[in-house]
Amino acid sequence: MSFRPVKRPNSAILDGHRPLLQSLERRGLIRGGLSLGALSLLTGCDMTRPQSVEEALLAISRMNDSVQAWLFDPNKLAPTYPASMVLNPPKFNAYYDVMDVKSVDGSNWRLELAGLIAEKRPWTLPQINALPQQSEIIKHICVEGWDYIGQWSGVLLRTFLERVGADLNAKYVVFKTADDYPSSIDMATALHPQTLLATQYANATLADPFGYPLRLRMSTKLGYKNPKWITAIEVTNTYQDGYWEKLGFPWFAGL
Amino acid sequence: MIQFPQATNGASPGHRMPLARQLTTAVLLFLLQGATVSAQSPTPGGAPPPPGMSLAASAAMRFPQPIQVGDLLQRIVIEPVESQSYLGKLEQIVRQSDGSLAALITLDGFLGFGARLVAVPVDALVLLGNVVEVVAFTPAQLRQLPSVVPGTTTPVSLNEIIKVGLAKPSH
Amino acid sequence: MNKRHGATRMSNAIALRQTARPSDKRLHPWSVRIMHWINAVAMLVMITSGWGIYNDDVIIRGLLFSKSLRLGDWAAWSLNWHFAGMWLLASNGLCYLVYGVAKGRFRERLLPIRLRDVIRTVDDTLHFKIDHSDLTTYNAVQKILYIIVILAGIAQVVTGLAIWKPIQFSGLTSLLGGFQSARIIHFAGMAVIVGFLLVHVILALLVPQTLRAMLTGGPRLIPPGQRAQEPLP
Repeated sequence: MSFRPVKRPNSAILDGHRPLLQSLERRGLIRGGLSLGALSLLTGCDMTRPQSVEEALLAISRMNDSVQAWLFDPNKLAPTYPASMVLNPPKFNAYYDVMDVKSVDGSNWRLELAGLIAEKRPWTLPQINALPQQSEIIKHICVEGWDYIGQWSGVLLRTFLERVGADLNAKYVVFKTADDYPSSIDMATALHPQTLLATQYANATLADPFGYPLRLRMSTKLGYKNPKWITAIEVTNTYQDGYWEKLGFPWFAGL
Repeated sequence: MIQFPQATNGASPGHRMPLARQLTTAVLLFLLQGATVSAQSPTPGGAPPPPGMSLAASAAMRFPQPIQVGDLLQRIVIEPVESQSYLGKLEQIVRQSDGSLAALITLDGFLGFGARLVAVPVDALVLLGNVVEVVAFTPAQLRQLPSVVPGTTTPVSLNEIIKVGLAKPSH
Repeated sequence: MNKRHGATRMSNAIALRQTARPSDKRLHPWSVRIMHWINAVAMLVMITSGWGIYNDDVIIRGLLFSKSLRLGDWAAWSLNWHFAGMWLLASNGLCYLVYGVAKGRFRERLLPIRLRDVIRTVDDTLHFKIDHSDLTTYNAVQKILYIIVILAGIAQVVTGLAIWKPIQFSGLTSLLGGFQSARIIHFAGMAVIVGFLLVHVILALLVPQTLRAMLTGGPRLIPPGQRAQEPLP
């Protein structure tokens, strides 16, 4: 399904971004027409915003990341709720509408590992489901301002990282996904007692639109930091921008 | 009549007023023009079915999810736009004569008057969190729908599970 | 009459009038003026970027702020402006509050508020008697409005923190009724401040001496207890 702009953009502006467009089209992420506004969202460039102002705001955003890391209490648990308050099905969101969700074949899926991890062999879904399971009913808060209460079950990310011999003193855990939505988080949050590699929602296998077979579920970060359809996990000391950070959103995004 | 204060440094107030009034008007106009709507982003959720596609096919593309009928009742119904305008309330799910499912929605009237009950095919709706959006009909088209006569429809039981499509937020 | 008594009384009267001199203090000291204008900029940044953030998930269905009014052309940049402006607003606001309490300015300018003064001021305003011949005393309605906007500003910082950190400051967020409740109160606080701004700016433009006073300091203050019958320039 495509969104056709009323006014065609000046094609000369698109010329400079043709490689990016072709790459995105090849991966089937865009069908049909692309508006200038969508382009600016994808590349983060905006003709009306002076670069110096942008750089100043981003510098302050990075300073705020440090403040947030300082404020983060690794032992503080987010409130939990009764099962009667769980929204089912949960609210769908992505950087594209639901028609463009690409289902993952769970039987052929492997979780790839990379970086500062001792045991890097890929994991199958049954192997992940055999790990100690934990369930939590917590609030998902989106940067847009809405929230809902959901129930997620899976293995603690901490347990998984310990199991694969990850360097828990490294700075970042980075996730890659089937929908090209990278996300990186700080190690302190990765080790938080409510950070799960979730395979289930409301006691049933995650449905396709909600990240099947594996998604990250944190209680202490905004929704956009929780990637769905995870395909790889990397432990590293090198910072990597996530999907929305490339477009100007804050990185730490702590609650 | 407004009595303007006497300027204490000797300058005449009458000389100042036109400028002050101009500035006041400018400030008021600038602020008042803000109350209007709306600006859609380039990738809004909840786009209508492409022309020519059936409602059923378009609903099937939206990864319909199982939901208990009881969880749908009394949900707010909104327009798939950035301003999330209120359309009405979902009162019931009914089975129509051709076997398809429809939602009975009380369409909000103007300032509370003229609320009407209409039947909207479930395939025209999506779930958005805990509200419902109408994606396949514009508000104008909804207002064209005939009123439902109470008692002429067959309600679906509260614990029956039906499937409704999804959409991302519309902004 | 004893001539010497009369002479003493006369010289006493002259002496009294001579001591009834204005102090060196101006209505708005330079520090107050600086903090006022920084606050004006900070508040405008917070309000307009806040409108941009609001648009991303409206609180009042059907109410959307037009693009020309929002700071930050879309969500990411409205957020970045908001999280930058908050430092300016909070630090400048804190300086202003500390100054106001420590220097006694709040007590001097904003208190006391007597009910009969409120009634009289409202009555005057309704009869369009906006008298500002003496800028150095605030009428009762002015005092109330300034107190309201100061409290609203504090409320915005508090509710803002609850929205920003609903887990790390979960006690605060709970106190406010939860995340959505904090959002609604934050929005209401914005409406109060915007309402104040409309009145404040319009009145300042209608009585331009007040605007000039906030730029250059305004009239010199007469020390309390020695106010002359007529206002001094």
